[in-house]
Amino acid sequence: MPAIVKRTERCPLCGTEFDAEGQGCRPSCPMSAGCKVVCCPSCNYSFPQETGLAGRLRAFLDRRRTHP
Amino acid sequence: MTPPSDATCQAPRASPLDKQVVASARSVILVGNPNVGKSVLFGALTGKYVTVSNYPGTTVEVTRGTATLDGEPWHVMDTPGTNNLTPMSEDEQVTRDILMKERGYVCVQVCDAKNLRRGLLLTSQLAEAGVPFALALNMADEARSRGFHIDVAQLKEALGIEVVPTVAVERKGVAQLSAGLGAARRSTFTPRYDDAIEAALAEVESLLPPKGGLNRRAVAMMALVGDDSLREHLAANVPEAELARLEDARRRLAARYPESLRFVVSRQRLAAVDRLHDAVVTRSRVSAASTFARKLGGWSTDRLLGLPILALVLFVAYEFVGVLGAKTAVDFLENAVFYDRLVPWTEALVRWAVPWKAAQEFLVGPAGVPFREHAGFIIGKYGLFSMGLSYGIAIVLPIVTTFFIAFSILEDSGYLPRLAVMVNRIFKSMGLNGKAVLPMVLGLGCDTMATMTARIMETRKERVIVTLLLALGVPCSAQVAVILAMVSGLPATATAWFVGSVVATLLLVGWLAAKVLPGRGSDFILELPPLRVPQAGNVAVKTLARIEWYLREALPLFILGTLILYVLDRVHGIAMLERAAAPVVVGLLQLPKEAAVAFILGFLRRDYAAAGLFMQYEPFMKAGTLTRSMEIELVVALTTITLFIPCIANFFMILKERGWKTGVWIAAFILPFSLAVGTGVNLLMRWLY
Repeated sequence: MPAIVKRTERCPLCGTEFDAEGQGCRPSCPMSAGCKVVCCPSCNYSFPQETGLAGRLRAFLDRRRTHP
Repeated sequence: MTPPSDATCQAPRASPLDKQVVASARSVILVGNPNVGKSVLFGALTGKYVTVSNYPGTTVEVTRGTATLDGEPWHVMDTPGTNNLTPMSEDEQVTRDILMKERGYVCVQVCDAKNLRRGLLLTSQLAEAGVPFALALNMADEARSRGFHIDVAQLKEALGIEVVPTVAVERKGVAQLSAGLGAARRSTFTPRYDDAIEAALAEVESLLPPKGGLNRRAVAMMALVGDDSLREHLAANVPEAELARLEDARRRLAARYPESLRFVVSRQRLAAVDRLHDAVVTRSRVSAASTFARKLGGWSTDRLLGLPILALVLFVAYEFVGVLGAKTAVDFLENAVFYDRLVPWTEALVRWAVPWKAAQEFLVGPAGVPFREHAGFIIGKYGLFSMGLSYGIAIVLPIVTTFFIAFSILEDSGYLPRLAVMVNRIFKSMGLNGKAVLPMVLGLGCDTMATMTARIMETRKERVIVTLLLALGVPCSAQVAVILAMVSGLPATATAWFVGSVVATLLLVGWLAAKVLPGRGSDFILELPPLRVPQAGNVAVKTLARIEWYLREALPLFILGTLILYVLDRVHGIAMLERAAAPVVVGLLQLPKEAAVAFILGFLRRDYAAAGLFMQYEPFMKAGTLTRSMEIELVVALTTITLFIPCIANFFMILKERGWKTGVWIAAFILPFSLAVGTGVNLLMRWLY
């Protein structure tokens, strides 16, 4: 099954905010196991969720932005 | 809407349209773009006693509550975020339907003061629809801190309605907004369109009955631009003969413009909004910069200026990926890191950890023999480490990393949707409409996902054409990166041959497919965000996320591909394959026999195949000793591999999405076709190059 983290994502193409749950790769893709690419329900643009190292970097940058 | 708790009415929860009119209770509907703080304002107005239910016939949630505003009981409804009263999504349709079917309400439009232009686009539509409303400039504090100075008095005068700066999370401005709701009125701001549109509007308005909360002009506009979601409403309320007149008026108007009416109307409306925006937003240093960004944004989608900007963007990306990524970074990782250090260290580690000589030789080959000359399992000609990991990490990774950085910059700057607009024009010439652009652009990321998104096309014709074109000639991000790396070693004329061959093939096949397959086109509109300077942090995070995704997806397949090669090598299968493919690969394409393996393994991942070719020609590219014949070989190989059958993941997705018959037809067409194009390019280049 896709490794999608349940949270709100913002589409980098059209700006739509959406719930990532259920927007991951479809099981018909043989590479869907562990895939963290989500599809925007509005424009269908696909992008990987910022989890793992990228998620930690995002959290660090957000913390610095909030408490410089 | 749900009535106040102290009112007497019957269970309206499941059916917001069957509202019971309650004496002394008025209705206020909150509307606004997505993520502007509507729900926060709703909470500030109503407190916590709210009901949430799906809008009838949809999965879209609508929140209702009650409030006492200025001493009077009010129904309050929070609607899904919308950018347009002519809906493009289910959410937008729900909001439009609520506004159209409710009676006797007033609206509060919640607008993000930081993005006034986007908010005013919706304001102009509410004004045009004759809805009484007030405008809340929410997040006013953030707008001020970012250098936006909005002349509220002038905006109020221009719109003819109450305009209140608010900070909903701090309840600032909420009392002033509530106090003015009873006196909410229709806006005097009405965008005027060109004469043809105004005449058509007048004609269609006269055919429509007065209906609900939106006036005839707004409904006429929706009908004119071909809003499908309105069809049921029109069929129920307009006699058949007048529907035919309406359709006739729409067709006559549409024939006047090369673009869709939806696009033309949006553009003219936006022009009116821009004039108002520029009049009320003070030009501080920040806003002056944003004005330049807006101009640049306009130029980047202009028919003439857009092309040189597009060429510049592609050139910079090519230099960045092809030179920095493919030359400097690959050279460092491949030689200084992998072959000079990691390979000898791994070999030494294995010899130290495995005491048996036979096992050592199986894993890392005989001592003292260069690894490219033996068949070690880990370190060897087809070793999992020396080939699989070095392909994945030393060659493709630096190239895709620089490509991902370039792509993230395009994404974060807001240029990507503009790129879609420019590409749209090209695809239109192929019989495709704008919606086809997105799968094509997405195909540059991952063809497999893009094949899935071909679902957004309305007709089977469009879905099949898009799937075919994606499978045929849209290279995925990893392959684009390796292609950029390879063409960076070629002279400009050879590069032009490659690009020209692929683009010409795509245009020809798309045009032919559009002619052969029956069906009709459809419209597409994408909201363009403002251009901005990309944020280094955002680019870093986006790039890292893509690299993680790439490593997770590609590396296992690189290892698998290497394992297959290793086994084939041990059973002399590679030589057999090369002999079997020689009539085509050597005879027709005039490529070295080793290219056959690259083509076959390209089915696992296209970039794996491209990386194999890159390795073969890299020493000559570096030394600048590519001969004319090698340049032709490279162009022919690149063209054929780009057009070759899709990777295994994409192929399975095609079978799943389009059905096995169509999938097999697509593959059966692509295989000989790509080889035929490669042969044609080879013959032409050897004659003309």
